[in-house]
Amino acid sequence: MEPVVQFENVTKSYGKHVAVDNLNLSIEGGKFVTLLGPSGCGKSTSLRMLGGFETPTSGRILLSGKDVTKVPPNKRNVNIVFQDYALFPHMSVAKNIAFGLELKGLDNASIHRRVSELLELVQLQDYASRLPAELSGGQRQRVALMRALAPDPDVLLLDEPLSALDAKLRQQMQIELKAIQEKTRKTFMFVTHDQEEALTMSDTIVVMNKGRIEQMGDPHSLYGRPGSVFVANFIGETNLLRSTVVGTEGDVAALSWNGITITANPGGLSPKVGEHLYVVLRPEAIHCSAAEPTSGNRIKGKIRQRVFKGNHTSLMVEVGAGTLLNTLVHPSDVAQLNGEDIWVGWKPETATVIPDRHAHN
Amino acid sequence: MRTLFSDVPRASLTAFYWAFILYLLLPLTLMMAMSFKDANFVAFPIGEWTFDWYVKVMQDKQFLEACLYSIMIAAATTFAATTLGVWIAMLIVAEGIRGQVIIFALACLPAVVPGMISAISLRIFISTIDMPTGTAAIILGHTVHAVPFVVVMALTRLRSMPGNLVDAARDLGADSVVAFFRVTLPYLGPALVGGMIFCVLLSIDDFVRTFFLGGYRPTLPMLIFAKVQGGMSPEINAMATLVLVVTAAVGLYAEFLTRRARTR
Ligand SMILES: Nc1ncnc2c1ncn2[C@@H]1O[C@H](COP(=O)(O)OP(=O)(O)O)[C@@H](O)[C@H]1O
Ligand SMILES: [Mg+2]
Repeated sequence: MEPVVQFENVTKSYGKHVAVDNLNLSIEGGKFVTLLGPSGCGKSTSLRMLGGFETPTSGRILLSGKDVTKVPPNKRNVNIVFQDYALFPHMSVAKNIAFGLELKGLDNASIHRRVSELLELVQLQDYASRLPAELSGGQRQRVALMRALAPDPDVLLLDEPLSALDAKLRQQMQIELKAIQEKTRKTFMFVTHDQEEALTMSDTIVVMNKGRIEQMGDPHSLYGRPGSVFVANFIGETNLLRSTVVGTEGDVAALSWNGITITANPGGLSPKVGEHLYVVLRPEAIHCSAAEPTSGNRIKGKIRQRVFKGNHTSLMVEVGAGTLLNTLVHPSDVAQLNGEDIWVGWKPETATVIPDRHAHN
Repeated sequence: MRTLFSDVPRASLTAFYWAFILYLLLPLTLMMAMSFKDANFVAFPIGEWTFDWYVKVMQDKQFLEACLYSIMIAAATTFAATTLGVWIAMLIVAEGIRGQVIIFALACLPAVVPGMISAISLRIFISTIDMPTGTAAIILGHTVHAVPFVVVMALTRLRSMPGNLVDAARDLGADSVVAFFRVTLPYLGPALVGGMIFCVLLSIDDFVRTFFLGGYRPTLPMLIFAKVQGGMSPEINAMATLVLVVTAAVGLYAEFLTRRARTR
C-alpha cells in the first residue's frame, strides 16, 4: 500500500539554525504515529511543514502520493489540532465544527448531519450552541478534534494537544483519542515530548533528536530494543552500563562494567575485545533477592535508597564504589528485602547492547 | 504607606476635586439651562421656561442640513479611516515585515500634529494639486486625522489575538481573504465598532480642518460658529445641548464597547 505521508530528504533551516535535518519518513495509512522528542527537536516544524505553514528549505513532502511541498494549507487535505485548540471564539461549537465543511461547499443538510454525528462521537450534543469560552478544557479539546476531523482529512495532525490538560484528564483523553482513532481508522500524526503519552497511544513512534530521526518503531520494540543511548534514556527509566568487552564466546560477550564482570548478548554487533559498549538494563528486568540467584548476571549490593511509588518500590542499589543500579521491586517482594545487603540479578537476554558511537573519540 | 500628599488634609483634596467638577459642569449646565429660557437673549434670571427653542431648532432647515452634511462627512470619514486603519494595523502585526515601528510611528503622526498645522498644510496641498475645497477635501482631512485612532484600537485587539486562529482557518480551507473576513474581522469586532464611533465623533467635532478645507456648505460646528458671531441666542444653546447629548451618548456607548472588548 502507498504511504499516506512521505517526507523525502526534508530540511528546514532558520538562518544558520537547522530545525529539521534531512528527514526521511514514510507513514502508512490508518496508523497512530507519534513524533516523540525533547523540546526544540523539530517536531512542530515537521508537522507545520506537513500542514503547509512552513516551506521546507529543501526536500519534498508527499501526501497520498502527491507532491504538496508548495501547496498552501487551505489546499491540502490535512487538518491540525493546535496545542491551544485555536477555536474561533465568536463561533458556537457547531459553527466551529461546520467551518471546514462550509468551505468545502457542502450543502446545509449534509453539514448539519455531519456536525451532529461528530458531536455525538464525543458526547457533546447538548453543547452545540455554546461558545468555546463556555466549555471546560477537555470539552474544548474535543471540539478542536472534531473540527479538524470534520472535513475528513487524509491525515490528522495533533501538536501536543493534551499538554494544557491536568494529569487525570490527560490520561482520560489519551484513551479517548486512541479510541477515536481506532473508530475512524484515520491516520493520526501526534506530536509530544512525553514518552509515556507516546507509549500509551501509538502504533508507531518516531523518536526525534536535534532535527533527525533517532529511531522508529512500535512502542514495544523501542522500549525493549532501543537503538541508541538517546532513545534508551528518553524512553522509560533505564540503567546504562558503559562496559568494555573482555571476551566473546558465540553470541555471548563477557564485559567489564566498572570492574564488575557481566555477560550480555550483543546481537548482531560482533564486538571485539577492548571495544566499548552500552548495556541497557531496565529497572524491572533486575531481580532483587536476599539469596544469591542461581543463574544469569548476579552482583552483591547494598540498598542505598528506597522510594515508595505506590504500585512498586524503587530501590537504588550500590553494587560497587559509587556504582548504582536503579531497580524496581513489586510490593509483595519488598518485605523480604529488609536488610541492607542484597543480591541483584538479571538474565543477559533481557538487556540490550548498543554500540558506543563515540568510541573512537 | 505614606502617600506623597499625605500631609494635605483629605478634606482639601476632596474639595479641589469638587471644585474641578463644578468648573467642568457649570458652563455646560448654564448652557443647557439657557436653552429653556423664554426670551430672545441669554441672561439671568431665566424667568419663564419653554421648549420653544428646541421646536425652532428642529424646524430650522439650515440646522438640519448642517447636521445631515456633518453626518455624511462623518460616515465617509469613518468608512475610509476604518478601512485604512485596519489595513495598517494588519500590516504592522504581519510577519516578515520590516520597520514595523516606523510604520506605526508614521501612522500615528496625524494624531500628534497640531490640527492647525495639519489644516494649513492640507489646504496648501490641495490648492497645489488644484483640488477644490469642499466635501472631498474635508473628508480627506478628517480621514487622515482619524486613522491613527483606528490603528491603535485595532492593533491593541490584534495583538491579543492568538496567532493560530488564522492558521486554523487556513488549515480548514479558508484562503487569506476568507480567513480575514470570517475570523480576523469578527475578532476585531467590538474594538472596531469603538474605533468607528471615535471616528464619527472626531469628524463631527472637527472645526479647524473643516474651516480651512470646507466650501460654502457649513458643517454643524461651522454653522454654530457663524451663529455665535451673529450674537448669542437661546437657539444656539438648544443646538449645542442637542449636539452634546447625542455625542455624549454615542461616546459612552463606544467606551462601553471597547471596555467589553478588552475584558473578553
Ligand atoms: N520561526 C522560527 N524562526 C526561527 N527558529 C525557529 C522557528 N520555529 C522554530 N524554530 C527553531 O527550530 C527548532 C525546532 O523547533 P520546533 O519544531 O518548534 O521544536 P519542537 O516542536 O520539537 O519543540 C527550535 O530550535 C526552534 O527554536
Ligand atoms: Mg512544538
